[in-house]
Amino acid sequence: MSRNVCDEGDDERDYGEEEDEEDDECFDYDYYNATDYDSELYECERNKDSEHFEYECLQIEQVERLLNESVESICSSIGINPSLAKVLLYTHKWDIDRIKEKHKRDSFQLLTDARIKSPRNSRTVDTANRASSYYIQCNICLQSSSAEKCASLSCGHQFCKECWCSHLEVQVTQGITIGIECMAQGCHILVPEDFALNILTKTSFREKYQQFAFAAYVKSHPELRYCPGTNCSVIIRAKENKSKRVICKHCKTSFCFKCGGDYHAPTNCETIKFWLTKCADDSETANYISAHTKDCPKCHICIEKNGGCNHMQCYSCKHDFCWMCLGDWKTHGSEYYECSRYKENPNIASESVHAQAREALKKYLFYYERWENHARSLRLEAQTLEQIKTRIHEKVMANKGTWIDWQYLLDAAALLAKCRYTLQYTYPYAYYMESGPRKQLFEYQQAQLEAEIENLSWKIEHAETTDRGDLENQMDIAEKRRATLLKDFLSS
Amino acid sequence: MANIATQRIQREFSEVTKSDESQKNLISIELVNNSLSDLRGYISGPPDTPYEGGIFHLDIKIPETYPFNPPKVRFLTKIWHPNISSVTGAICLDILKDQWAAAMTIRTVLLSLQALLSGAEPDDPQDAVVAKQYKDSYEMFKLTAKHWTSVYAMTGFDKWRYPDFDYKIQRLMEIMKVDEDRARVALSSNNWDLEKATQSLLS
Repeated sequence: MSRNVCDEGDDERDYGEEEDEEDDECFDYDYYNATDYDSELYECERNKDSEHFEYECLQIEQVERLLNESVESICSSIGINPSLAKVLLYTHKWDIDRIKEKHKRDSFQLLTDARIKSPRNSRTVDTANRASSYYIQCNICLQSSSAEKCASLSCGHQFCKECWCSHLEVQVTQGITIGIECMAQGCHILVPEDFALNILTKTSFREKYQQFAFAAYVKSHPELRYCPGTNCSVIIRAKENKSKRVICKHCKTSFCFKCGGDYHAPTNCETIKFWLTKCADDSETANYISAHTKDCPKCHICIEKNGGCNHMQCYSCKHDFCWMCLGDWKTHGSEYYECSRYKENPNIASESVHAQAREALKKYLFYYERWENHARSLRLEAQTLEQIKTRIHEKVMANKGTWIDWQYLLDAAALLAKCRYTLQYTYPYAYYMESGPRKQLFEYQQAQLEAEIENLSWKIEHAETTDRGDLENQMDIAEKRRATLLKDFLSS
Repeated sequence: MANIATQRIQREFSEVTKSDESQKNLISIELVNNSLSDLRGYISGPPDTPYEGGIFHLDIKIPETYPFNPPKVRFLTKIWHPNISSVTGAICLDILKDQWAAAMTIRTVLLSLQALLSGAEPDDPQDAVVAKQYKDSYEMFKLTAKHWTSVYAMTGFDKWRYPDFDYKIQRLMEIMKVDEDRARVALSSNNWDLEKATQSLLS
């Protein structure tokens, strides 16, 4: 077993030597979420940046204030109580203007649509039972109770408060709050907040109700989204519901605002969902193919890939080759780099069903392998970054250079991760693309990006022999390629 | 069981027994092991449907939180229907899930199930194979459902027979050495195509 030569001679690496000065904070530099880096270097290009997205990270109290403003606005303009205003806002996705407009047109229709009032034709239900006697038989527990021990919503369906309470407790336990309906058969009138809190007597249920209701309001609000980070309570607010990257200021989780999944540019939310489902279904087939080891195409020694760079050099025979296609690396010069491109069999339509199925699998595996490989490279490059950090730390402790002297290396690693991340997500995009000139252009740009990323990765792994200017130049090229691809293909 | 659930079931029990539908032998319920949380329901197949003449047995479990949560109901009698699993008897019906209302009763559930037998909803299927057959070849679906009714839901001598189906089941049992039920499922799921059914048992 040989190792990827990229990893060789780690200990010999020399990152420079000068005054001693240490800045520990910089070691916590966030590898995947290089926003600071972004804003500094590309501030002037912000307006042109296709990934740019306006959003803010809010705390629960801030969101409560925000929601209350909407509630007050509705209360004052329509003249209903806050609980009903909340039902209205919830059922209309917090679109204040639409509510006001509907109110102007037909206020009764507005209230029936929002399930606050029963429609005209069924409004007279149960009135006999309600009006005639002091005692009311509750249809749920079948007991008679005095009228003050009963309650009803606007629909007039009377039930005893004990049954209401049991009903609400069962619903709240299941996480339902705003959507709780009247207990009568076929009645869909919603239980408003004040009614619920009036009925629920136990503190634990009242708290749960308020907590779940708040979550339901946030989820129904198109401008708000919970940060998907573990145990993170931050709520992101963005004016536009677009599939753009959001990075939580609190827990640093990076995700797509629209779908809440991992950020996936240039692929869109629907496509990435298809792709991930497909991969989850087919991964068993694909796994054995994209194994961790391959043989050197020249001397056939077994090679384990333990670095992120796809430019491989055989430890034994020094042959330079590409990990993906096993071809000679020399043919991977910028213009001719095309091992990111899948070549479809042009005669496939005339082949048998069996051959077509095999071709379909082959095509999928081609993209899956590259998708998986870049994901793995990302993980391996994260390890490389750790090694770089350790080395820098050692060097600084040994008075060889200052933190500032190697800042550029960390910047380079962060940029590499960012570029490779985008590159990884170009593969599902390409997989679902129709053949044609647009796909050709996409694959051309993808190939260009991939070539520059591999160059960058190689230079970072060989930092001790790479000139700083050369490396920074490479960073610039890679990021430009990435920005170009996103500009052309990231639809907003 | 909670007090309210007990009272409700007792009352609902007599509601079903005294109902018109029960007098006409269309629905009925009885206790299992003298426990109010475990009931057995019976519905007759509605006229002018492939289920006509059949009596379908239902397993009804009353949850602790009844009537604020719906009863758990499934078919004990095997049945060929898009909204009922041909394997487990599980039912896909909105009032047994999120459309349940505490004011509903066992009687309304039994009547709703009978209505479900009269009008299937293939776009909201529980059994995808049956639903596909229902949409693609409705005549085949009707024959299959009628066959299942006569085999599993009818007793006595007035059973409906379709010699072609019986013959194919026998053949498949001989070829594949499987029991009758498995052979029937395999054939029903493959539009009674003997070759395809054999293949499905092989894979």
